Amino acid sequence: MQRDVGSLPLAPALRARLVAAGFQTAQELLDTGPCGLSKEIGISKEEALEALQVVRQECHSDATQTAGAPGTSRKCTALELLEQEQAQGFIITFCSALDNILGGGVQLTKITEICGEPGVGKTQLCMQLAVDVQIPECFGGLAGEAVFIDTEGSFMVDRVVDVATACVQHCQLIAEAHQEEDHLKALETFSLESILSHIYYFRCRDYIELLAQVYLLPDFLSEHSKVRLVVIDGIAFPFRHDFEDLSLRTRLLNGLAQQLIIIANDHKAAVVLTNQMTTRIGQSQSTLVPALGESWGHAATVRLIFHWDNNQRLATLYKSPSQKESTIPYHITVSALL
Amino acid sequence: MAPKKLRRARLSQELCERLSRYQITTCQDFLCLSLLDLMKVTGQSYRNVQKLLCKVSLACAPKMQTAYEMKVRRAVNPSSAFLSTSLHGLDKVLHGGVPCGSLTEITSPPGCGKTQFCIMMSVLATLPVSMGGLDGAVIYIDTESAFSAERLVEIAGNRFPAYFDSDEKLFSMTRSIYLYRELTCGSVLKRIKSLEEEIISKKVKLIIIDSVASVVRKEFDTKLQGNLTERSNFLARGASLLKYLAEEFSIPVILTNQITTWLSNGLAIQADLVSPADDLCLSEGASGGGKRESGSVTAALGNTWSHSVNTRLILQYHDLPTRQILVAKSPVAPFSAFFYTVEKSGFVLQETDSE
Repeated sequence: MQRDVGSLPLAPALRARLVAAGFQTAQELLDTGPCGLSKEIGISKEEALEALQVVRQECHSDATQTAGAPGTSRKCTALELLEQEQAQGFIITFCSALDNILGGGVQLTKITEICGEPGVGKTQLCMQLAVDVQIPECFGGLAGEAVFIDTEGSFMVDRVVDVATACVQHCQLIAEAHQEEDHLKALETFSLESILSHIYYFRCRDYIELLAQVYLLPDFLSEHSKVRLVVIDGIAFPFRHDFEDLSLRTRLLNGLAQQLIIIANDHKAAVVLTNQMTTRIGQSQSTLVPALGESWGHAATVRLIFHWDNNQRLATLYKSPSQKESTIPYHITVSALL
Repeated sequence: MAPKKLRRARLSQELCERLSRYQITTCQDFLCLSLLDLMKVTGQSYRNVQKLLCKVSLACAPKMQTAYEMKVRRAVNPSSAFLSTSLHGLDKVLHGGVPCGSLTEITSPPGCGKTQFCIMMSVLATLPVSMGGLDGAVIYIDTESAFSAERLVEIAGNRFPAYFDSDEKLFSMTRSIYLYRELTCGSVLKRIKSLEEEIISKKVKLIIIDSVASVVRKEFDTKLQGNLTERSNFLARGASLLKYLAEEFSIPVILTNQITTWLSNGLAIQADLVSPADDLCLSEGASGGGKRESGSVTAALGNTWSHSVNTRLILQYHDLPTRQILVAKSPVAPFSAFFYTVEKSGFVLQETDSE
């Protein structure tokens, strides 16, 4: 109730007039009432009423926060968090070595970044995750849906069909081996058609479309509440050319990262981003580092780097809050990433 | 693709006028501002500004489609998803041929047959759909002046003698191949920008640029300061324009690239290594374990370019006259290699015993 008038989310012109008229706290505004306010400031009664409604809502949410009411606030004890983390599922990748180093799979409510050279398998893994997130719960999956935001145009429907077909076959084999009631029932709805219909695909051609799409994502996810995975394939591509103003780029990327963290937390979804590698020319040699700069490295919670060693593809867990750094080999087969 | 003006995002007239006083006229300017800046320039409350943001985003955001809709659309006309290369083994591995709607790069040392491949693909694109072609025109942007019309006619006559049985048919095929000679980066970019209208008016079904590397490497010397970023900017802009054309019209785009050498002592640009298949000495088993002999080769134009192309085919010498074609990068195909020779009729794959 002691909130300063200057900090209320009103229109700036109105705010300036209130401060100039001498109002200091929100309580003063509420006590004056709409008619008094309109006479003193010189605005219409409707505008005054609107402003007061905003003030009241702000103060109400402030009050509930200080009273410690659950739901609107974002605080909880570590014990509650532990229970939540243990209960929450992972998106398995079908590559057991990769799942192991990730601690079970791709985690929900966190941002995972996959960096790698071109052709190493980042898009393959994303397409696989978009299929794996839909596996029914009785088979160990999350029964969720996926949003795929493509900036590079490398999404190939035929490949997703291959992966999805293999996944359905795999589940059918499990169901035959175990012969349980709920397995068979789940298989009725888990078909190629349903998998493909639940991958929502957006093709963003430049960074403006990407920004616009991320602004609209929270509404989209509220409508489609079963979405558990948001993939942005190629977060680097739209930001790497045509950007003279590097500070604008850093600001936009940071804003994007923040929005994605909020989306991941609010909707209990996993966010997976793919990044490119760029050459850093040093004194004696040049090394490959993830693109988009040093500050972007802070955006993702988990970072995986895919690279080559002779003819073998390797995945290295580079950054993770709970698992230690390790490297594993993997292959890309017709049906999956193994 | 000029940025969208705010008026078309259905914002009110007075709001647009107010914003233009702050030099914010396009959706791009609007979305790049932070929320506090937006409150200041629009003079609205926090909640209203969020609503405005949603409105402008709706105007800019792409339309959603499910993967199922995409598959159904592909299934409706399956032949239009690929341009068959008429090389059976290669087509099988690539699930049909050169994919439509994405960029395919052919890279090789000089003289292996890139231009021959491009000329062959031009003939194939003009063939009717029943013969595996796309029944359309071809735009051929030639930066090295290497295109030979006589060779075009020779390949057509020898590869499809039954179809091109009369001069009339040959001439109508040659009439649908539009050749542009561009010799500088700027003119290549200008030409690509003008292609959108040409594609619609001439019913073009294939774009070939032979070669990207020669014109870029002529103009940009990467040892000079600032040139590396200029070059990357040019390549990235060209790549995004071509991708837009490829996807918008669902046509294949073929680009050719050169091979560059890098020295193992000194600045070893290991970054240019896209995949083991790219490192040609590795695939021949010459070196291993990270040891690089001096003068190893890799595809030119750098890392950013390698990210932009979706499919990469590498041609290289084997035992003359046999050469090898490798699928180095493809979203649908694993690494594969085929042997071929260049004959009168173009490329001829050598069938291996295991086929």
